[in-house]
Amino acid sequence: MNNAPIIAEQLARHFGDVKAVDGINLTVNQGEIFGFLGPNGAGKSTAVRMLTTLLRPTSGTARVAGYDVVKQADEVRRNIGVALQDAAIDPLMTGYELLELQAVLYGIAATKMKQRANELLERVGLTAAADRRVATYSGGMRRRLDLALSLIHQPAVLFLDEPTTGLDPMSRLTLWEEVRRLNREGTTVMLTTQYLEEADQLADRIAIIDHGKIVREGKPSELKRSVGDPTLLINVSREHSDAARSVLARFGDMRPTAEGTLGVGLRGGAERVAEVVRALDEAKLVVEHLELNQPSLDDVFAEATGYRLEGADNAPQAG
Amino acid sequence: MSTGRSVGILAARSIRNIRRLPSAFFPALAMPIFNMVVFAGTFFAVTKIPGFPTDRSINWYMPLGIMMGAAFAGVGLGFTTIRDIETGFYDRLRMSPTSRMSLVIGPLMGTLTRVVMMTTVVIAIGIALGARFSGGVLGVLCLYIAALGLSTIGAGWGLGLAFIFKDMRGAAIMQLSIFLVMFLSSAQVPLNVMDGWLHTVARVNPATNILRLARVGLVNESNVDHLSFGAVWGGLLAILLMGGLSLGFALRQLRKLSN
Repeated sequence: MNNAPIIAEQLARHFGDVKAVDGINLTVNQGEIFGFLGPNGAGKSTAVRMLTTLLRPTSGTARVAGYDVVKQADEVRRNIGVALQDAAIDPLMTGYELLELQAVLYGIAATKMKQRANELLERVGLTAAADRRVATYSGGMRRRLDLALSLIHQPAVLFLDEPTTGLDPMSRLTLWEEVRRLNREGTTVMLTTQYLEEADQLADRIAIIDHGKIVREGKPSELKRSVGDPTLLINVSREHSDAARSVLARFGDMRPTAEGTLGVGLRGGAERVAEVVRALDEAKLVVEHLELNQPSLDDVFAEATGYRLEGADNAPQAG
Repeated sequence: MSTGRSVGILAARSIRNIRRLPSAFFPALAMPIFNMVVFAGTFFAVTKIPGFPTDRSINWYMPLGIMMGAAFAGVGLGFTTIRDIETGFYDRLRMSPTSRMSLVIGPLMGTLTRVVMMTTVVIAIGIALGARFSGGVLGVLCLYIAALGLSTIGAGWGLGLAFIFKDMRGAAIMQLSIFLVMFLSSAQVPLNVMDGWLHTVARVNPATNILRLARVGLVNESNVDHLSFGAVWGGLLAILLMGGLSLGFALRQLRKLSN
């Protein structure tokens, strides 16, 4: 029997005709940081809500920490910590009061409660703000408190749903470091994100979800290698765009890019850049900008979905 | 997992918010006082109707003010729960392994504490304005029991609707239902002076029995037996039945929240 902390089999959730999550299979191994990557509306949060017992699946099964999310929901809850998107915190309460509330709801003995709350406040750097109402906290402070709340009962599995969305770069780095630290201490982490860099930096393995389906899964390095050739990006004036496209197409397959940029998967890699430049020059095309990018997770995403995650708000959404 | 501790801390959160969000509590305190004073002052002539059970209008309308305040305090729990659902805070409570019962009973205890405070203040003002408890301490106790009971019924109803609608669409139904239940009862005049369909509806409306329980210590001063079991059992039964049903409704809808 598979003892992985998170296993989903054909897990699906439909809202009327909308298939928010469309039969995903997923295994997160013990001690991993697993990144769940996708644009807004791809189905990440819906999947997490099912795995954390907040939402009942339409079909399929899932086991978290060894327990069925529907039939053994209480056992699942006892073994997981969750920090949902948009830190769900009562602004009228203080940080300490929230930790106290969380401790009681998780059955932590009164004698240990204060010590545990103080440990966590120190860990996330909120000791000085513990007695202030949460309404006065910055976004970063709220996220850190949310993380502390999710850790009160020392869960074996931690779900972080877009934990750094809306945070400044410094707060983001602080939170990343804390996630790494927790993982080093043995916590299995499932992290949803729409940030490629976050998935690349933190995750041991990632799954890319689009329109409710997992379209790629693996280690970031393997996924990037699977894309193959590096991407050559060029910018030319609008009237030369079609001509440039036909030149580039001779050197590899065209790849999806942001508007105004042309991209080709350059067969043969960096050695052929000079050849491309000569070909563009012979076609009398003025190149405004040229860069060669090694395969990134965005390339993996683009190859799998046909559009790029950066600027993916324009992409069609699954709900 | 101790349900008692969970109930206690959830009740404490609700009570603490009286101090932290007084703008939400004071209107709930002012409304029953306003209702009592305005009704007693405006409709003092109803006491002249033959068969009216008291000659003091304040004795009749003070319990009504308290009962309306208690009912609205009850459904008010639905409003605050909608706020918690909308901000996502309720997800935090649902994701905890504490019993679902404690998620209903804890906030309810906070609401009932507010109702005790409101009832005490309104009784004090009512007595200052001339209300007299001929039923003594037992009569006062009946008024508290009726207020707490009606508030529990309102809370269960409000919570259930909050879990169904998950947003402020449920608020209008909560308020409308309280007005209908209260005004289609013996809220304004006793059953014996009603006639027609209103009499029929009021007679079967459980709120009539609960109002009777609330008023039992304040009316029929000349009748020494007016505080007998026969006068209060209908109200107690209505509270037990309706309270059980409404809390069951809330619990059922809470469990269906993840569907």
